[in-house]
Amino acid sequence: MAIARDRPAIVMDNGTGMTKLGYAGNDSPSFIFPTAMATRSGAGGKPGVRTATSSLSQKRDTEDLDFFIGDEALYAANGPGYGLEYPMRHGQVENWDLMERFWECSLFKYLRCDPEDHYFLLTEPPLNTPENRENTAEIMFESFNCAGLYIAVQAVLALAASWTSSKVQDRSLTGTVIDSGDGVTHVIPVAEGYVIGSGIKSIPIAGRDITYFVQSLLRDRGELDTSLKTAERIKEEYAYVCPDIVKEFSRYDREKDKFQTFRVDQGGGRHVNVDVGYERFLAPEVFFNPEIISSDFLTPLPEVVDTVIQSSPIDVRRGLYNNIVLSGGSTMFKDFGRRLQRDIKHLVDARIKSSEQKSGTKSGGMDVQVISHKRQRNAVWFGGSLLAQTGEFKSYCHTKKDYDEYGPGIVRNFSLFNMP
Amino acid sequence: MLLLQYHNLLLQSILTERLEPGASLVYIDQIISDFDYVTFHVSTPETKSVIVVSLAIKCWSDLVKYGAESVLKREYGSYITETEPGYNFSLKLDVEALQQENAELREALIDKIALLKRHAMAAPFEKAFDTFEQLEKAAQSTDRGVPEESDTEVMTIHYRDEESIFVRPSFDRVTVIFSIIFREETDKIFGKVFLQEFVDARRRAIQNAPQVLYSSSEPPLEIRHVPAAKMQADMGYVTFVLFPRHMTAMRRENCISHVQMFRDFFLYHIKCSKAYLHSRMRYRVSEFLKILNRAKPENVEKERKTASGRRFVST
Repeated sequence: MAIARDRPAIVMDNGTGMTKLGYAGNDSPSFIFPTAMATRSGAGGKPGVRTATSSLSQKRDTEDLDFFIGDEALYAANGPGYGLEYPMRHGQVENWDLMERFWECSLFKYLRCDPEDHYFLLTEPPLNTPENRENTAEIMFESFNCAGLYIAVQAVLALAASWTSSKVQDRSLTGTVIDSGDGVTHVIPVAEGYVIGSGIKSIPIAGRDITYFVQSLLRDRGELDTSLKTAERIKEEYAYVCPDIVKEFSRYDREKDKFQTFRVDQGGGRHVNVDVGYERFLAPEVFFNPEIISSDFLTPLPEVVDTVIQSSPIDVRRGLYNNIVLSGGSTMFKDFGRRLQRDIKHLVDARIKSSEQKSGTKSGGMDVQVISHKRQRNAVWFGGSLLAQTGEFKSYCHTKKDYDEYGPGIVRNFSLFNMP
Repeated sequence: MLLLQYHNLLLQSILTERLEPGASLVYIDQIISDFDYVTFHVSTPETKSVIVVSLAIKCWSDLVKYGAESVLKREYGSYITETEPGYNFSLKLDVEALQQENAELREALIDKIALLKRHAMAAPFEKAFDTFEQLEKAAQSTDRGVPEESDTEVMTIHYRDEESIFVRPSFDRVTVIFSIIFREETDKIFGKVFLQEFVDARRRAIQNAPQVLYSSSEPPLEIRHVPAAKMQADMGYVTFVLFPRHMTAMRRENCISHVQMFRDFFLYHIKCSKAYLHSRMRYRVSEFLKILNRAKPENVEKERKTASGRRFVST
């Protein structure tokens, strides 16, 4: 298959919330939109429940082409006749019919590519089932005749994305990935490119919870605009991580210029000023002191990371401490990485000290390094783009020819690849 | 989505975002791909205030031969700049000047740039339509009856590795022929059904549509002498016959857009039909599974014995 040589590979990262689409070689995804579809049949029925199946056999018209995806879907669903449906749930594809059409539209309408001419890199969550991979391959090869396919684990791509950071010396695929998006935060240990499935831990605190927290602070103060959107903007533009919460409070008392105002455009030429105060450092603080917002989940993020690494095989722990990689929008707070590194270091040092006392021997110490880089927000996509633009990428893909020869079972195994 | 769009959505959205008044100047370096081996490169090579949009297209040498440069000059005029190495055609946009521009003009320009591929591909068709007009006039004035058929040149556009478009103007029509290769057996069958549908559509309801012919055995007579038109095992030829009513000044542009998207449109719908069949198949499988699950025997009460072998007797 020499046809797809000089055309860029396509990188698709379908998440539960957002889908990122783009061409390999670019430094940011070309399209980022919600993984949502507006269909005719979705109207009225509950989302996720197939109402179309009963009318499948009576299809007369082109109703299977009558749908929208992404932002257009959200817009169309506001009007009459369309209902929203979500093809993905909890990181995995729930409805393959919808997903197939979602891909169809993303390829032909948004990316404008003939799948026969391009190679594809798709992503999957850790612990994806082999059946899901087979289904994906079936759709990609049989419906779209795509030239080649590679399915990569999101956490591994996030590791690859960190190679752009100047702190990274060797391009290893061992490390701990902290992936915090909108819905949930995962801590995933990866050794030599393989996810240690038993070690994965998730934290029910992520971007959305922080936004709600900021909103509640604004409400308590009785600000003029307390919409979710304003809270989100304040979170993204003003929030930062402080080294010590008590000192920070007293600093705010001394330095009045720490308090800022945010100007909200309410449309129609009206403007409202919203004061921004303690939420600047309190918002990201929920990762380090979850008791601020939650009464049932109380373990701070550094402790979770430490537990995850301690539960991994002993011979990779050094690598995991050495290479803690951040990924996802909720890790973008200023100084997030620095604070995390300090807190984990404290935990590790305390443990080493106590074991030194007990055993009476001297320990060599442990390096803890948290890596943050510029591409954190779409780290998974960017890692995919980085890998897919290399010359070797195509030789790691499964091609249409392989698929025809062996069938969908072929995608159960993917060879890992490393950049030279 | 029934029809594919003619413009490149990504190109349009990037430019709209960047040229909006008040948008900050940022560094851009994006590669965008389009159908039929077309690649765009949007970049800010020297300063952030100058955006260069470059186009690489496989059949550029063919297009130049048929006057693509003049068509692009007509459409983009002063924006044309020195061609970026590795690409075929470049446009230069001054961000700061365009941000000051009237909103309508700016939108019109962005739309025009989003249609870059379409305009580049339009050249041979425009040339064919012009030749047709000349021939038609000549035929009317001389009134000699049917002029010689073979004096018009067949324009060949090698727009993909193995597939080509052939355009041939004549005094009463323009013939457009696509050679299409199906890489897969299933696609070939779908393709045949679809093309038969195109051929029949004219007969049934849409009398105004251009005539469509399909041949999977040998190239049509019009292009049999063209060297590129050799027959391959899995190749088919689709012929569109455009009549004068399709080439009136009003319809002309639309007609060109439609015709050049034919192959992509065609393959898109083959893929959509497959997706539809798959959804039927999935539904069937889930129904069968339900039946199978129903056929499972209920938990039959097994005879229970005590350790010493005594039975429970139900009373």
